[in-house]
Amino acid sequence: MEVLHPRIRLLWIAQAALAAVVVGVVLAAVDAWIVSFPTVVPIGVVAIGAILGIVYAVVLYKQWRFELQDDALYLERGVITFVETAVPFVRVQHVDTQFGPIERALGLSSVVVYTAGSRNADVRVPGLTPDRARKLQNTLRELAVDSEADDGV
Amino acid sequence: MASESPEMNRLHPFSAVTTTLNRGIVGLSVPFFLIGVLSSVTDAVDPVWSIYLAPIGLVAGVAYGLTYYYRFEYALTQDTFDLSSGVFSRRSREIPFRRIQNVDVRQGLVQQLLGVAVVTIETAGGGDTEAQLNFVSEDEANRLQREIRRLTAAANGERSATEAETASSDEDEDEEATSNETADLETAATPERHSDPGVSEDERHEQPVDHGEPTRLFELSSRELGLYSFTSFSFAAVGGVLFLLLFANDAIFGLLISMAEPLGGPANLDSASPLEYGVFGIISLVNGLALTYLFSVVYTFLGYYGFQVGRAGEDLVYERGLLQRYSGSIPLEKVQSLTVSDNPLQRQIGYAGLWIETAGYGPDSGGGSQSAIPLARKRRVYGFAERLSGLERPSFRRPTTVARRRYLGRYSIIAGVVVAGAFGLSLVTAVENWWLAAVVFLAVPPAAHLRWVNLGYYVGEDNLVIRSGFWKRRTTVVPYYRLQTVSTRRSIFQRRLGLASLVVDTASSRTFFWATPTIYDLEYEVAREINETTRQRLQSALRERARSSDSEDGDAGVSVAFT
Repeated sequence: MEVLHPRIRLLWIAQAALAAVVVGVVLAAVDAWIVSFPTVVPIGVVAIGAILGIVYAVVLYKQWRFELQDDALYLERGVITFVETAVPFVRVQHVDTQFGPIERALGLSSVVVYTAGSRNADVRVPGLTPDRARKLQNTLRELAVDSEADDGV
Repeated sequence: MASESPEMNRLHPFSAVTTTLNRGIVGLSVPFFLIGVLSSVTDAVDPVWSIYLAPIGLVAGVAYGLTYYYRFEYALTQDTFDLSSGVFSRRSREIPFRRIQNVDVRQGLVQQLLGVAVVTIETAGGGDTEAQLNFVSEDEANRLQREIRRLTAAANGERSATEAETASSDEDEDEEATSNETADLETAATPERHSDPGVSEDERHEQPVDHGEPTRLFELSSRELGLYSFTSFSFAAVGGVLFLLLFANDAIFGLLISMAEPLGGPANLDSASPLEYGVFGIISLVNGLALTYLFSVVYTFLGYYGFQVGRAGEDLVYERGLLQRYSGSIPLEKVQSLTVSDNPLQRQIGYAGLWIETAGYGPDSGGGSQSAIPLARKRRVYGFAERLSGLERPSFRRPTTVARRRYLGRYSIIAGVVVAGAFGLSLVTAVENWWLAAVVFLAVPPAAHLRWVNLGYYVGEDNLVIRSGFWKRRTTVVPYYRLQTVSTRRSIFQRRLGLASLVVDTASSRTFFWATPTIYDLEYEVAREINETTRQRLQSALRERARSSDSEDGDAGVSVAFT
């Protein structure tokens, strides 16, 4: 089983911090214009949010595993709900590599696998180095082409 | 495109009339609106201008409507359905027959009288209809449905022939092979059918015929139609009643008051005691529910009047409706899963319905789900589902009793929230005796048991069968061949109890009302085992399918085509 790049934790922490800051700003606005409350409240909320975010990121990193099995891409992840998903290669419609601004700054990249399904229709493997992402994309593409079948849609 | 297809077709002349009228009225009203707005803003614009401009708008609108009609053309080529339309910005679209999921014909009351129909063509992609022909003649609609079916079959035959690299077999032989396959399937199902007393005479004597004429598989009898109307509930009825409420006027309120008055309701709404208001509220609620139910009965009756489903070549074709007539076709090759659904009432009388899910937008529920049998005896429905999917008689297994304990806990929490809500209410209003709300706890054990007892799964030879739900119990047959992804999910609570849910995703686009087929609350070990099994069976089904298309073995070809 392969694990993600450790730097992905920074990305998740950054996302959580960003969310916490947004909540902090909203609370400050509420404080200024609607009802006023002690300054401790927004600071506490933001701090708790940030701590939860860090814990979440660390646990999620520990939980995340993926593997190329002989018939499918297999992933395990989740903190609250732990999900194990198998995406058979025959079902892969197309494969993307993507990276956002923070990911790019951290030198990370994601692979997104699309199926024709209704739920879990796009499966994302985050936290890969750009090289690993490109290699995974190519491997998946080859495996998908090799096992091509009529999808019935 | 024009060189390939010499005959470009236009819509029925009636649509020229409607488009022209429609655009003409728009053209006529635009000047009034524009001038009205402008004259109120600036004095430079005189309201009188609209009288001169309106005729110009009318002429422009009529011209647009006519041009639209003359520039809307469609054609059937060897392997695509072509459509070109638009006056200023032109659009031409080619839909390959192989990709077409449904061809549907719809006729409202007026359209039936005039002998015209609306044809829509759906593919799996997008949430929208791919092509809509607003008004072609009835004959043309039927011709289109038939031709598209024929050409699709021809295109598929050609394709499988080239795939199997049998250059020697020509078109005619292919065609013959297909109809033989049909015959095989029908006869293969015969023994089971003879043992079924619920099957009517005409079904037993059905013979597979050529692709043009459908073989009837099921017809909704008047008894079944009645039972279906009375035992099912259509949510459209709620919309109907809400619509009525919007226009609720004094007459309706008067009626409601006069119905509540003999039972202790108020004489008028302005001066009444709280008790009288309460009685009025309860009686009106009962009236509203009765009216909703009545609406639902009428709506279902009108919608499913004259329902019948048949088989034409590799397609299922269906027809239904009294005022609004629907007919359509579903390629069997595109079927993703089958669902048998029933509610407590229907279970009581031993009836059930069968639904077919395809990928993409469906005309019936907006979710790619199509009724194959609205309601029939349970045995007959299961027989039909078994024949359609090659399913053996399922023997259901149930998740462990730990799951039932989980629901007991879950529903107790909900009941607790209800009681807490009642307590909260007693703090802010004059409501006393909030503890009476604790009565809801009595419902918890039966609710948990019913939820658990209606869960079931069966790991079959070619299909996975999943059952859940009490109010609307759904038994979904998912062929392994149709699996997209398989997931095992464990929430915190489930992990504590060692349980897991298995989510089986197919390409059928049920998103809002129908959840993805899920086996809830299995023991984790069992869930893993089924997960492994389904993945293995998907691979072996794929191998089998590849083999059968190589050898062109007729029998195997059909059973696979049905999955």
